[in-house]
Amino acid sequence: MRRMKLAITGLTACSGCQLTLLNCEDELPELLGHCELVYFPLAESGNVLDVQFDAAIVEGAVSTPKDLELLFKLRNASTHLVAYGTCALFGGVAAMNNRVSTRRELLRSVFGAGEKLPESFPPVPLANFVSVDAAVTGCPPEKQEIMELVVALAAGTLPPARSYPVCTECRSHENLCLLLEKRELCLGPVVQGGCNARCPATGIVCEGCRGPVREANVAQELELLLERGFGRDEIERRMSRFKPEWDYGKRS
Amino acid sequence: MGSVVEIAPLTRLEGHGSVRVYREGRRVERVELQFIDSPRLFEALLLGKSFAEVPEIICRICALCSTVHKVTALLAVEDAFGVEVSEVTALTRELMLQAGMIQDHALHLYCLVLPDLLGVRGVAELARVAPDLLKTGLAIKKVGNQITETAGGRLIHPVNIRLGGLGRSLTRNELARLRDELQKVLPAAQEAHRLFNTPFPFPELPTPDFLVLQPAEHPLGAQACSMVGRASFPLRDYRQHIEETVLDYSNAKLSRVHGKEATVGALARLNLHPDLEGGAGALFKSHKQELVGKDMRGNNLAQAIEMYHATERALRLIDRLIELGPRQEETAAPSPRAATGCAACEAPRGVLIHSYSFDSQGICTMADVITPTALNQGALARDLLALARGMEGEETNRMTTALERLIRCYDPCISCSVHVLSL
Ligand code: SF4
Ligand code: SF4
Repeated sequence: MRRMKLAITGLTACSGCQLTLLNCEDELPELLGHCELVYFPLAESGNVLDVQFDAAIVEGAVSTPKDLELLFKLRNASTHLVAYGTCALFGGVAAMNNRVSTRRELLRSVFGAGEKLPESFPPVPLANFVSVDAAVTGCPPEKQEIMELVVALAAGTLPPARSYPVCTECRSHENLCLLLEKRELCLGPVVQGGCNARCPATGIVCEGCRGPVREANVAQELELLLERGFGRDEIERRMSRFKPEWDYGKRS
Repeated sequence: MGSVVEIAPLTRLEGHGSVRVYREGRRVERVELQFIDSPRLFEALLLGKSFAEVPEIICRICALCSTVHKVTALLAVEDAFGVEVSEVTALTRELMLQAGMIQDHALHLYCLVLPDLLGVRGVAELARVAPDLLKTGLAIKKVGNQITETAGGRLIHPVNIRLGGLGRSLTRNELARLRDELQKVLPAAQEAHRLFNTPFPFPELPTPDFLVLQPAEHPLGAQACSMVGRASFPLRDYRQHIEETVLDYSNAKLSRVHGKEATVGALARLNLHPDLEGGAGALFKSHKQELVGKDMRGNNLAQAIEMYHATERALRLIDRLIELGPRQEETAAPSPRAATGCAACEAPRGVLIHSYSFDSQGICTMADVITPTALNQGALARDLLALARGMEGEETNRMTTALERLIRCYDPCISCSVHVLSL
């Protein structure tokens, strides 16, 4: 089999998604036999960009001219472009304040009032600038999802998308419902499943790290939380942690 | 004629960086180290968020260090509100820190440094040239991962550790399984020092000014910072001793301690806290000549010894947890008050400080994080210049390879360093 040529890299991100790949200790040695890591600065030296890639797996949001330049290069050079992780798909944690403060205010409060501010605009998903062929969500994604992706790519296909909420998996594990029984601010109903309800399984609310599920009934979640006495501000703040824009009137 | 040599992007390290060497003929004029990760402005994002959200958000600064960021943030918030935690919670947190040490050092040594020692491009070639060594390294790293995943509920950005306590405590079975896994890799962790004791093919570097947290016996209870040859200062006063400057060519700020470029991390810890217990202590004694008072070329060896130490210590922590037995304590919800809290931990790469202020509702009004890489940045830049000067006249290729290797000695984490404080 021809080894597929891969580019793996990060834009505005924490490297967690890329690291998830390196954390697949058991599968890694075999996996490395199927692909050629042509561009993967996190783990390889001697990287080249001016070749044709079978796929580019890109972590992170876009927030600087440099991010954008690399993204365009990879889009042009790759058959498939994969948005890898919540930041790449929805903006992620770096984007949480996009609706409430300007980039300049944020930059100033961190770098001081001097003249020299880094060039930076509000972090946005890859799809705002380029077409995206496949997506893996999660902050960070589940190991098994990145494995599915690489296996599918090697076979010349793309992995299927999941479309059920965290609650589905949470119920099948018979966890105590934090939203209904403990009246906590859990986002499970509107968030995409696939993580085996990791957080509720340890007794901690879903913070929404995998972004919205396709048919999210956002309006109902909002009503439920308001009824339980949470303020609209707090709810919106929580919802924005991984994705700044939600349609709070949406019913599925 | 002036010329500039650029190494970009720097590879086999966490984040985006580059180095420029400015030369006048053969002479090296200056070296610029740039950390160019896109700024994510965490300290600004935290303002206006509630205290409960702070640890969950801030751990996303950096994947590799997410556990230690989360633990330090929890400690800082608990410090602000005067929250005490149980022994089980404290032991579980420390266990996760030791696991982080194992993961970080194993990943760095076996996946990022080993290619240099064997003259290959990276992990992919390693898998072909030295499959057994790579597998050994991955096996050690995997145990760190298993601990984090079991105790933290997730490998990166752990969820199970929370304010005042744990989501759930570990069962006897889980603890016993982790103990078995640790025991299996103990011999490999003990041997690692042989591999990473290879002398580096470059000239001597300046002697570092090591900086560590005290007391070393209480990894979750740091009270002070101490620097070689200086009186130690209370953690609370860190702002008076650590100054930060914005650089116009880098997105990370430069930190100086007592006006000096501090060096933090494995080598610093072994130099200032040489009384390691157990087998790691004996191992350290046998390597003293290569470590004490030495420059950063010794850091990878120090990491190898620490990796062994963390494995031994994790075993002791697990034994104590088994002795205590699993118990589910009720975690008291902290009651917010207007206060400032501060905490620090020894992250795999060195001193990490978090500090937050809250208003009476528990809304964050100030956030400040000082990372090991921000602290090390000045020393790294100084060493790069010294090394480049020491290699004047040598082939450019040889020089850039050496510079990259030196950077890897420091194991910098650029995501961590680029986000900096609010003034
Ligand atoms: S999605 Fe989460 S893990 Fe991935 S880069 Fe963003 S912050 Fe890091
Ligand atoms: S339960 Fe929610 S926050 Fe936790 S991993 Fe799943 S999607 Fe993310």
